[in-house]
Amino acid sequence: MTDAWLLTFLSPMARAAFYLLAAVTLAGALGVTLTRNLFHSALWLAVTLLGVAGLYLYLGAEFLAVVQVLIYVGAILVLLLFGVMLTARIADPAVPALNRQALLAALAALGAAWALRLAIRQAAALPAGPPAPVPLTTLGRGLVTTYVLPFEVLSLILIGALVGAVVIARPERRR
Amino acid sequence: MVPLAHVLLVGVGLFAIGLFGALSRRNAIGILMAVELTLNATALNLVAFNTYLGTGGTAGRDAALGQTVALFVIGIAAAGAIVGLALVLAVYRQQRTISADEIHLLKG
Repeated sequence: MTDAWLLTFLSPMARAAFYLLAAVTLAGALGVTLTRNLFHSALWLAVTLLGVAGLYLYLGAEFLAVVQVLIYVGAILVLLLFGVMLTARIADPAVPALNRQALLAALAALGAAWALRLAIRQAAALPAGPPAPVPLTTLGRGLVTTYVLPFEVLSLILIGALVGAVVIARPERRR
Repeated sequence: MVPLAHVLLVGVGLFAIGLFGALSRRNAIGILMAVELTLNATALNLVAFNTYLGTGGTAGRDAALGQTVALFVIGIAAAGAIVGLALVLAVYRQQRTISADEIHLLKG
């Protein structure tokens, strides 16, 4: 299995696929933030999320790629689309998409990117061995042994969020 | 494989674009989408570090730590999106708008 993995991922075609996926992901992200129509924004978000799923595949995290498609594209994105369609005035061209501090926000984002770039320069010097694929069994066994407590806490958070969302979004009863 | 720095750079790009969106979108749902972008950047970085710097295989106890935490990040993002959208719907019902700069109930 390791040989097949190496053959797949050392080939230049996989390398080209990585850069293509990265470009698609970043273009989708730009579409999310810059598109005026919120519905189109959500569609661009789908492009980005699928791009990230492809990057997970490239990095050898097949399970996470499937989870990304199922949870993000299948659940969160559909939820966001419902939210978009339940609230009016999404495609009104008279309403600007960005607020007045857009320039300041761009400066802040560029500053953050610059600072993170400095951190990357140090991370690139870390002693990186050959890429190490993780079999799914390791991930699954960790989830039910070492990390079982965070895993259960996460399920509690999710059920709490579900109940809380129902309570918040329920129409108020007239008294 | 491509160098680790290139994968991290994709993460930085996603994070910066998401930060810009969260600070500059007027629509509350747009802000939520931008926050999802930053969370994706985080998860991508975790998986990249796991693949490039991890022990791999079934060797170490923490061989899949990065992927596990990325899984938790995705779960927390789902919880955040659920509550955020519920809040947006509640605000829309009261205020008839979800423009973040038209909602100023707390402004003195």
